[in-house]
Order: sequence, then structure tokens, then C-alpha cells
Amino acid sequence: MLDRKPSAEADPITFAVVKNALDAIVDEVAYTVIRTARSEIVKDVMDYSAAICDARGEMVAQAKTIAQHLGAIPEAMAAVQARWAGRLVPGDAVIMNDPYLGGMHLPDIFMFYPVFAGDEILAWVVVICHHTDVGGRVPGSNAADSTEIYQEGLRIPPLKFFAAGVADEALEALIGLNVRVPDRVLGDLRAQYAACKVGAREIHRLAGRYGDDGLRDYFDALLDYAERMARAEIATWPKGTFRFTDHIDSDGLSDAPVPLSVAITVEGDHLTVDWSGSSPQVRAAINSTLSFTKSNAFLSVRCALRGEIPNNAGIFRAITVTAPEASVLNPRSPAAVAARALTGYRVMDTMFGALAQIVPDLIPAAGEGGNTVVALGGRHPDNSPFIMVDMISGCWGGRPDQDGIEAITNPSQNLSNTPVEVLERQHPVRVEQYALVPDSGGAGRFRGGLGLARSYRLLADEAVLQLRSDRLIFAPYGLDGGEPGGRSANWLGEGDAQRSLPGKVTMTLRAGEILLHHQAGGGGHGDAWSRDPAAVAHDIWNGKVSAAAAREHYGVVADPLTGRLDMAATDTLRMTPKRTEEP
Amino acid sequence: MLSTPDRGARIGVDVGGTFTDVVLALPDGRLYVNKTSTTPTDPGEGVLAGIAAILEQTGIEASAIVEVVHGTTVASNTILQKAGARTGLLTTQGFRDVLEIGRIRTPGMFDMTWRKPEPLVPRRWRLEARERIGADGSIVLALDEDSVHAAAQTFLAEGIEAVAICFINSYCNAGHERRAAEILAQVAPQILLTASCDVLPEIKEYERTSTAVVNAYLLPKMRVYLSRLADRLAALGIHAPVQVMASNGGMIGLDTARMRPVFAVGSGPAGGVAGSARLGQVTGDSDLIVFDMGGTTAKAAIIQDGQPSLVTEYEFRDGISSPSRFTKGGGYMLKVPAVDIAEVGSGGGSIARIDAGGLLVVGPESAGGDPGPACYARGNTVPTVTDANMVLGLLNPTALAGGSLKVDAALSLEAVRKHVAAPLGLSLEDAAHGIRQVANANMARALRAVTVERGLDPRDMTLMVFGGGGPLHAVDVARLLGIRRVLVSPVAGVFSAAGMLSADCVQDFVRPVMVPLERADPAAVATTLASLATEGREVLAREGYGDGQAVLRFSVDLRFMGQSSQLTVPFAPPFDAVALGEAFGALYAETFGYRPEEAMELVNLRLAAVGTGDRLQFETLRLDARALAGAEGTREVSFARGGPKLPTRLMARDAVTAEPIAGPAIIESYDTTIVVPPGCTAVAAQAGCIAITIGPENGDA
Repeated sequence: MLDRKPSAEADPITFAVVKNALDAIVDEVAYTVIRTARSEIVKDVMDYSAAICDARGEMVAQAKTIAQHLGAIPEAMAAVQARWAGRLVPGDAVIMNDPYLGGMHLPDIFMFYPVFAGDEILAWVVVICHHTDVGGRVPGSNAADSTEIYQEGLRIPPLKFFAAGVADEALEALIGLNVRVPDRVLGDLRAQYAACKVGAREIHRLAGRYGDDGLRDYFDALLDYAERMARAEIATWPKGTFRFTDHIDSDGLSDAPVPLSVAITVEGDHLTVDWSGSSPQVRAAINSTLSFTKSNAFLSVRCALRGEIPNNAGIFRAITVTAPEASVLNPRSPAAVAARALTGYRVMDTMFGALAQIVPDLIPAAGEGGNTVVALGGRHPDNSPFIMVDMISGCWGGRPDQDGIEAITNPSQNLSNTPVEVLERQHPVRVEQYALVPDSGGAGRFRGGLGLARSYRLLADEAVLQLRSDRLIFAPYGLDGGEPGGRSANWLGEGDAQRSLPGKVTMTLRAGEILLHHQAGGGGHGDAWSRDPAAVAHDIWNGKVSAAAAREHYGVVADPLTGRLDMAATDTLRMTPKRTEEP
Repeated sequence: MLSTPDRGARIGVDVGGTFTDVVLALPDGRLYVNKTSTTPTDPGEGVLAGIAAILEQTGIEASAIVEVVHGTTVASNTILQKAGARTGLLTTQGFRDVLEIGRIRTPGMFDMTWRKPEPLVPRRWRLEARERIGADGSIVLALDEDSVHAAAQTFLAEGIEAVAICFINSYCNAGHERRAAEILAQVAPQILLTASCDVLPEIKEYERTSTAVVNAYLLPKMRVYLSRLADRLAALGIHAPVQVMASNGGMIGLDTARMRPVFAVGSGPAGGVAGSARLGQVTGDSDLIVFDMGGTTAKAAIIQDGQPSLVTEYEFRDGISSPSRFTKGGGYMLKVPAVDIAEVGSGGGSIARIDAGGLLVVGPESAGGDPGPACYARGNTVPTVTDANMVLGLLNPTALAGGSLKVDAALSLEAVRKHVAAPLGLSLEDAAHGIRQVANANMARALRAVTVERGLDPRDMTLMVFGGGGPLHAVDVARLLGIRRVLVSPVAGVFSAAGMLSADCVQDFVRPVMVPLERADPAAVATTLASLATEGREVLAREGYGDGQAVLRFSVDLRFMGQSSQLTVPFAPPFDAVALGEAFGALYAETFGYRPEEAMELVNLRLAAVGTGDRLQFETLRLDARALAGAEGTREVSFARGGPKLPTRLMARDAVTAEPIAGPAIIESYDTTIVVPPGCTAVAAQAGCIAITIGPENGDA
């Protein structure tokens, strides 16, 4: 089947129509997951993804879901094909979650559904869901402080969950017995299967219209087209090697910083992304498997491409990613990986730091650096258990031509927040503040977004707090002379009794105690002393920057109440030599 | 000639981006139509001009008008143009930024240049009151009235014109919110107020805050516009009550529109959907897909069991709403009932271009009505969907709109040749078919969003089509979805205005309950229902609907405990928890494909209070000759890519009878052009509709 000549582009009209049709089908697959899934993490938080791949497993279309998931498909697909090539029939669905075979972390279960044309595979529908629980030592299977993957839950190699349309009883029973909420997990797996079948049905309809070989041609053409566009854009980039290092504060089990170092080499129309020099793998569960490292590298590059490039794997062909074995970005089994999301965020920050040297007019300064996760577990007065998992999102850093954004999802995801009123209805907590933090945006010609504050007062007798935050030590970087964003912070208590907490905490909270988190602010872009004084004045007027900070960081003098500019004083201040930068 | 009545005439007005459509209906079923240019700076001018024109055209006295129903874009344009009031917001201490924080998501991926919509109230004018209500409605911290006085002084000093008040958990205890409103009204009587509990008091602080803010933001503009409109109508001799189309597909009276303008933000598209529901009742189609294609966008909605499908919240945004459910975050959240509409950027004016990678793209950029498609000869030289239709012979090559709009087909040919055919190396006709195909695929996506994504199979449904461009594309779009029957509405090009005249007055009310269904106290629920009923009847009475014209439609929002997928289940009192649980379970299974065995939560009690009366009856519709006339003869038309041009019969709309007409045929009328491709047959249906039965395609790709 690979000896066909790709002739599809001879017909640009059908090419455009097929592209739109695939986009519609993959969104329909994704929507079917929401419609039929059982768990809130899929239905409300939307932590799942869908894609269509060609027969070889190259992704030709993806739904507007979690960007971070999709770059991992190639590795996982290779594992599926290594095991099952030639032994698949219509109605089969292969599942897997093993991070060391291309998965990401155990809760993310991939399902691969081959779509057949006669005896041959025409395409694959792939659906990835974050499952509520896959067993292991803690509910949710997502602890940051595990030290071996064996603590993290059930590892599933590529196995047929459905064989010729019939569920595998043995596998179902095994999964059911090993997870805390079997109804939800098995229900969500069935939702994945239902969604795959919808995708297959629609792909068959498309093939009915354009022919099996015709469709294959269009898949090829779509991948080639995206590759061509990506390469054409990369070819315009400056040649050379661009390096950047960013850090995770620590893995939480020790105080040692975890450096991530990248070298992006632009050669012709191709990129090499080399992570040599990054931290060795760590004890706690923030190790990122190579497939997840790749996924975050791909999506960072995708953000740096400005053309109207279809979101398919053709782009990946222009990028090679390597990371040293046994590093935090390519751990060796049995390193724990459940909380690898944090490392994924920092991979993106590090990539952006290097990409900003290549496409300086597009890449923003660092944003908050990944959401903060606040988990509270305890019992209601009637002794029934509660588990609150709340995520605090952040901001984007200043951009080359405009300010950053406050209160927004990390670009590697597209998650939502939980309304305070809903949280309080479901859990014995009272949120007493959900607000922007003034002066937390890094100063720059274009200001970084402000960080968010959120507090939780415990109303139950006691609860176990698990807090995962970062950027308390390594602030989000600024670019082009912009200053770093404000650091994250955690406090327990109020008034004189208030005390700071570290970034990663497991502890017991008592009734009436209050936890306050400040999320980091975004880095600034460009020299703050060249920021338009009127923009600084507006920020003062609008309560986002204080007059004192305006004077110190921007060299702008203005009335603290009205923001009215004192241009003469500003000119004088800006004429004096800028205060010396810290070394 | 029929006599001209001296009473009972009703006027529907739909202000669109390009045209203001006016429809006048008489009690005997006669219907007159007029299209006039929209006057964007003062839309009331165009409304008046259109009404004056139709009165003159029909010879009907102004005194014969008993009602004017108005679909207005004033509310939506005020938001888009950021032209609303200088608005303040008063919140609970700690929560002034809820409005700006929103729900965090972005509408797209990988776009680092995205701009988040500016909140309608800047941080400076978002003030906090010291107070706190608990999640159970208890008072955690009593309202510090001094903090409200202080806020009032700040609002006054800042020259604030309107203030929204939204406190945390006010949905279950509005006491503090009401007291703060009292204080503000007393201290700053010149400031217009919206308390969130007075719009729709539902859980979720961002959605409630945003809704209250939008309402406050619109108050002054809408008051001025509606008052001036009433004055202008009076000057014309029309003293009839004015009704405004609401986003829920019903009408609301002038007073309600002045107090709660947020209900009128989705005014525009609702009329056609309401009209479709009525038409379906006459034609016997209680389940319909509604397809409305205008100049800039195409919209899809659903009628099920004779009622438009509604959502309880929607996002109003700049530009075009995507039909995908994965792209929230780009607009202003409104938690008010609205017709569930999916919209895509494909209309007659949508521009076709080749992108950087050589891909043909159609829309969302639009040439609109001015300068409009290339064939309008008003300065636009890039091809639009209309130009593609012109190239293929689907449209009249010399004039549109019953001869009133002159066009030059040669300009269409030139635009398509230069910008699409030549760069892609295609023939002129292949390029034109390509533009149509891409646009059709895009429109099919909107239809999929309201059907397949909700578990409905479009192949079982009838496509009801209207809008200027709808009947030109309906069959091809239907084929993409396997739909076999198309109904073209009467006066398709102005059907939104006609649909308004068939809408009832619908007022929505809600009371949060938030208790496990099995523990809901029937007596307490009955008390709440009674108070809802009283409120509904009172509001209807104020709008002039007595008890004999009031219909109360109750429903409940239910969900499984801990989930957020709540569904609305209609019911008739008395409240029966077991029956409601059963109905919810069945609806959940239908919507989500399975049925959990978990406890349910009673979230809200809802009331839609419906005022009925004399409405446009499509059964007795008699169309104005002007709306029916059209060209006759034949034209060479290309229906299929690669196929030969076919000599195609041209017909006026009134030539379509119960005798089936086999395609190819083109039916031209004042307000639209209906295409009956080869393999399809058209026949006159009830209520002025034309029904098209779709046969197999003839090799069309």
C-alpha cells in the first residue's frame, strides 16, 4: 500500500474539503467522549484527547483538546504495532498506559482503534483519557512523592481491550479489581471505545466518497503539506544552535534544583532539540518519559510557527528530539512519573527560552510555569470521605508586541477552573479570595500577566493537604531585558500567626486554618524603562501596578490614586542612570 | 383586491448587518415584505424607513398596527463596539477580579498572539463590600453597610453610570445583595443598578457576575434606543406596543427589555428559529434542523417536539462563534436561556482565498453587503461565495432582490478566475465549485454540531432552510449529512422578521434549590412553584396577558450528585420526585448514551411564563405578489464539477404547485433563489413552504 503515488494535490478542492472533514470528524470523536464518559475529570476538566492517524500511525488530525497528549502518540503507536502488527482485525481496540512503552503517566490510558478497508488498515482512531484512578498507593494514582512506578498503579502493556468487537473479560476483570473506582474507569474505557467507533464510521463514510486509496492519498498529502509548511518556515529561521536552561525548584524530596537544558539546532529546514545537560532522573514522581518530553517539545515548536499549518504529525517530521538516558526527561524504569506534568510545563518554558532567540518577535516571556495543584482529603461530619482537587492556573508573560495575559490556562493545556460556589457546595472549604496579585507581573516594555491568589479555609475537623507548586525559587524569566515575574508563595494561617510553606507539601490542616497560595506572575518583555508611561499610568489607575513599583521598576512617576502622570518627574527619573542590575 | 383592514396589522422588524427586513401581517393571512438598508449609526432610522415604506406600499394606516415585534442588534453591537455604560461592579471582599479571571480557557491552541477580551468593567471600578454568605445560605459575615456607602461614593466620584452587584453565594441568599442595592439606590439615585439575583440567580459566580455586568452595561443604551423608537413610531402614528425578540426565541415587552436588556443580546437569530417551530407544526415536522445562511455567517439550530432546543448559558463573542464545543473562552458569558445555535463564518459574502500553503479557504472574512460580492460592483474585487454561485449560473446574472439590486456577472468571473482558478490551475467552473464545496463543508459542520454532537441523527430529520443564501446551498449541504428532505420557508430572505410575528411572549424565571432529589420536600417545592407562578403571572399581566392567555411551563434542572452535566426536564405540577428522576434518567441516557445508578440533585426550578395571543398563522399565509414574482425562461447552469452545463428551467415561486417539479430548476423570488438540482423534486408544501425531496447525486464529488 505504500507504493501508491501521492496524487491528491492534483485536486486542491477535494484536498481542502477532506481536511475540513477530518477536523470535523475528530471533534465529533472528542465530543462523543464527553457525552459518554462517566468521570468529572473527563466531563468537566476535559483532560482527554482525540486524534486520527493514517495506517502507519502518523497523526493526520487532532481535536482541540489537551495539546500535551498528542505528541506522545507516535511512540505509543510504535509499541502497539511492534506487538500487534498483522494480528489485528476489525472491531479490535488496543489499550496501553505504560510510560516506558510510549505512555505518559499511568492514569492516561491510550486506546488505538484500527479502521479497516478490506484486509488492510486504512486509519487509526486514537483516544486518550485521564482516568480517575488506576490503583497504586494513593487515590487518583497521581502522587508527586512516589519513588517507583510500582507504587503508581496498574501498568498496562498494549493489549486488546476489545477483540473483534467483544470486550476482553479477563482484562476487564483485572483492571476492575486493581482500581478504586472500577465503574468509572471501565465506563470511561467504554466511552473511549464508543468514540473510536464513531470516528471509524465517519472515516468509512469519507472513504465511501473519495475511495480508500483516494483517502490514503489525501492523508499523505495532508502530512506532506504540514511538513512542507513547517519546513518552509523553519528554513527562514537563523541557522545555529540556541541554548537555554530553566529550573524546577526541587522534586520535593530533596532541596536540589532540577535543571532542564536545551540546545535547539536549526539546520536547513530541520530542528534538532537536544536535552543533554539536563538533570539526571530524580527520586520523586516528576520524571517525564521521552514521549512526553517530545510531546512538549513539539507543541512548543508549533507555537513558534505562525503559518496556517494544519495540526498534524507532518510538523513532527521536521523535528528530532533527544534526551540522555536516565535523565529527568528520559527516565529509566522504574522511576516514578505520575506528576510529570510539572516537568512538561518546564520543558515548554525552556523551549520557549531557546525559541525566543530564534523567533524573537513571537515568543512570550515565561508564564506562571504550570498550574498549582491543591488537594484536600478528609471526612464530612457524617463521616463520608471527600477529596478536593483544585488547580490554580496562571498567566502568560509579556509578548514582543503586547502585554501578557492574566488569568489564563497554560498554553500546553486548555483546562478550566472550578467555580468557588461549586467548590464550596461540594467540599467543606470556604474560599476567601480569588484575585489578581498586583505588582506580580514582571516589569517590561510589555508587562507580564499578574499571578492569581486563591485561599482555602478548612471547615471540616481536619484534612490532609497535598500541595504541588513551583516557581517559589526560580521565578518566570523575562526576555529582551524584561524583568522576571513575581514568585509563587504559600502561607498557612493569618495575621501574626501566618507562616510560609514550601512549594511541595503534605501535611494535616485543622478546622478553621486557612491556606493562601499566590501563583507566579509572568515575566516582562523588553526594557521596562522604555514602557509607554501612559500604559504604566493606566496600570496604576487600574490597580494592577502600584505607584511605588512604577517608580522603581518603570521609572514612571504618577499619582498613586489617579495614575495621573508627572511627565517632568518621569523624564528626569528616566534620564538618571538606571539602577544597576543584579549580577 | 382585498379590503384593507383598519385593525389587527402586526409588523416584524429584523435589523441585520446589511438589510433591515420588515414584514407586515394582516389577520387574514396576507403577508407583505420589504428590505431596506440598515443604518448602522442609528439603527432606528432604518427601522422607521422600512416601516414607512411598507405602510406606503400596502396602503395600510398606521392606526391599524396593533403590535411591532423587533429583533434588534443594539444590545449585541453595544457590546461589540464597547459602547456601553461606564459600568461599576460591587462584589464580595476578595472577589473583585472574578469578572476578569473568568473560566481560564482559550478558544484556540498554539496561538501566542491571542488577546483575551477586555472585561467590561476595569479593575478600578470593581469594588468590594465586606460581607459573606456561606454555601448553605447562612450569614458568615454580616453586610458592613459602611463599605457599601464607601463604594457608592467612589462610583459617584468616578462618574459611573451603571453598577452591577454580585455577591458570592447570593444565589441561595440574596439578602445582602438586595440591601446593597437599596443603599446604592438611595445614595446614588442617578446610577442604574442590576443585582445578579434580579437577572437569573443561578450558582457559579463568574457566570452570574458576567450576566449582571452585561445587563448593567447595556441599560442606558437600550433605554434610550427603545424610548426613542417608541417616540418615533408614535410620530408615525403607531401607538402599538413594541415587543423585543429575546435570545430564548420568545418576545419580551418593552419594560422587560429596558430592565433586563441582557435577554435581548441574542435577539437577531431567534426569530427565524421561533418561526421554524411554528412552521413545523403546520407541515407536521415536529423535529427539524434549522439552517439560516446570511451574508456573513450560517447558523444551525434544532427544533425538537415542536420547541426550539435551548441552552441555559452561552458565550457572546466578537466575530463568529465556532460550532465546536471545545473553543470556549473568547467571549462574554451570559447565563440566560438562549436558542442553541451553532454558527460558522460562511455566508454569501464570505471571501475565498488561497492561503500560504496553497490551500483554498473560504471565510470567515466577509465582504458583507457593502462593498459586498465582486458582482455588486462596489469596489470589492476578491471572490465571494455569491460570486461562485454567479459563475455557475445559479444566480440571476443581471439583478438580484427582485430586480432591485443590479449585478455584473462578469466581475464575478474575473474575481474567481484571478484569485482562485489561476493560482490553483483550475478551470473557472471547477474553481467556483471548489468555493461552494468548501463553504458547504463548513456549513455542514454547524449542522453536525447541533445534531450528531447531541446524539441526534440528521438523516432522520428535515432541514428547514431560510436566509438569503440558504435555499441556494440547502440541497448540497443536506447531501453531506445524508438528509433527504428540505423545506424552504416562505419569504426565506426575510423569514427571521416573519418568524418574530409567530413568537409568543416568553419570560424566564429560576429558583435555585440544590438538594438531593430524594430529600426534596414536596411542600417546600410546591411553595416555590406557587411563588414562581405568581411572579410569572404578574409579569405577564404587566405585559398585557391575562390569565386566559398565560401558559406556565415548569421545568427542573437535575444532575447526578457531584457531576456538572445538568439537564432540564419539563414537568407539570404537582412535583413528583420519582417521576422526575425517571424522566431525567431517560433523558440522560438519550443524551449521554448510558445511565448511572447514582443519587440525583435537584438544582433549579424553572418557569417559562408564556403569553399567547394573535400570532402569525402560517396555515392561512397568503404571500404578496411581490414576494412571489420571478424570472421565467431557461439558463445554462453548472450543477456538478466536471459535468456539462444543463439548460435549467427558471420559475417564479408562485409557479410551484402540488405538481412535483423535477430538477434541474431554479426558483427565483424577491428575497431568495431556490436551487433544485438534478435528481431532486420540488413541490409546494403547506404554509407557503417548498419541499424538496433529495435523490441520489449524479457523480458530484
